[in-house]
Amino acid sequence: MNKIILSIGLSSLLTTMLVASEKDDAIIAQLLQDVAVLNSMKADLEGNAMSGFQLAGYASFDFVAPDGGDAEFSGVKFAPIFHYQYGDIFQFEGELEFEIDANGETVTALEYAAGTIFLNDYMGLQIGQFMSPIGQFVQNIHPSWINKLPSTPVGFGHDGAAPTSNVGMALRGGLPKMGNLRSNYVVFVANAPRYGKAADGDIIIDATGKTSSGGASQLLGARYALNPIGGMEIGISGGVGEAFDDTNTSGTSANVFRDYSAMGVDFMYNNNGLDIKAEYIQQKIGENSLATTSLKGGTWTAFYAQVAYQINSLNLEPVLRYSDYENPYVNNENIGNRKQQIAVGLNYLFANNLIAKFAYENDTNNNIDNANRVRAQLAFGF
Amino acid sequence: MKKLLIIVALLSGMSLMADEVEPADTINGVQVWADACMRCHNLREPAVLSKRAWKYSMQHMRIRAGLTGKETRDVLAFILESKTDGDAK
Repeated sequence: MNKIILSIGLSSLLTTMLVASEKDDAIIAQLLQDVAVLNSMKADLEGNAMSGFQLAGYASFDFVAPDGGDAEFSGVKFAPIFHYQYGDIFQFEGELEFEIDANGETVTALEYAAGTIFLNDYMGLQIGQFMSPIGQFVQNIHPSWINKLPSTPVGFGHDGAAPTSNVGMALRGGLPKMGNLRSNYVVFVANAPRYGKAADGDIIIDATGKTSSGGASQLLGARYALNPIGGMEIGISGGVGEAFDDTNTSGTSANVFRDYSAMGVDFMYNNNGLDIKAEYIQQKIGENSLATTSLKGGTWTAFYAQVAYQINSLNLEPVLRYSDYENPYVNNENIGNRKQQIAVGLNYLFANNLIAKFAYENDTNNNIDNANRVRAQLAFGF
Repeated sequence: MKKLLIIVALLSGMSLMADEVEPADTINGVQVWADACMRCHNLREPAVLSKRAWKYSMQHMRIRAGLTGKETRDVLAFILESKTDGDAK
């Protein structure tokens, strides 16, 4: 009798467990179905969005050990780039630069902030502040995760021979292919640069974008670049206008303007790990008899040539760069007006956008070998 | 003012160019991706960014690299097609 009761009890228990298991399976199946529906709804919603934004950018941390000087952690830079897009017809892009100076203060700068309306497949109308289209290094190579050495070539930084940015508008885009030949262009009009003194007393052309020309004629410029073969670009660029003369400190009320021109030639080639870049750039300030200073004007020139080779199997990339900068007026007589630099570097690529750089730089000022340093940098783009 | 007029004239003339939207060509996309991107910087593999981020990045690169709209769509199509479930980490 006990066995019968036990059998009935066991079979009831098993039946209950089976029913419960089937219920669980049904619930799980329903949940999976719900998740699939939600995922498809999410995908639909994302696909239907006309606008959206993305945060990109780069950051870098620097170390320098000058020959005969103190080694120090010399730089912290964080440069977020904001992209906003509306359909396929408009994109806004803006880059901020945050850096810490020697006193621990945070230095901020708006590198560029411009909106582009895409008029057709071959033309975008860009309005706002954009990186100078004269040359190539400043507009495309300056981010630390792209630049293959921890420093910029001499003359290609702020207040050097290369213009930095413009406030104005530009037409730009890629042109229809001519056979296998691709090409691209930029035509722009922008506010005038200034001719003046830097904080260290050097006479400079301040070619960072401003919201006023100070009465000087605006700058009209262009760049045209050809891609004769894949991986190669040859660009030529130039601009003419006037510069507002900030050195005119006599107290006269009349503004003084000087003729201004800029010119650049750039070359880039990349193939099978070999990377070659070269660029010549100049800015010229004309004379003006009305100017009350003794400064006659002059030509600021800079040149660099760089070769790098990626050894993919080792994630290593040796780099060699020569750069040369000439400024017709330099406040510090010990430095002189011509600076040449040879930089040798070795990069380790943790990833294509995460790079540790080590470099040795040798500066020659007016043919006198007088400055060497070791640099290191960790840079990444995101 | 003359400079502005020149710009406006150029704008008017060139915006009249035919602008038919052709289907994206992933073969051309991979070629442009290899040629144009590496001129300036190391390649960013498709896995590095999300599909959505690639859309914005490619419009940014259209401006920076001087790509045509068609080339931009071709590269984007190649990148999106190359993405796999293994991209997420």
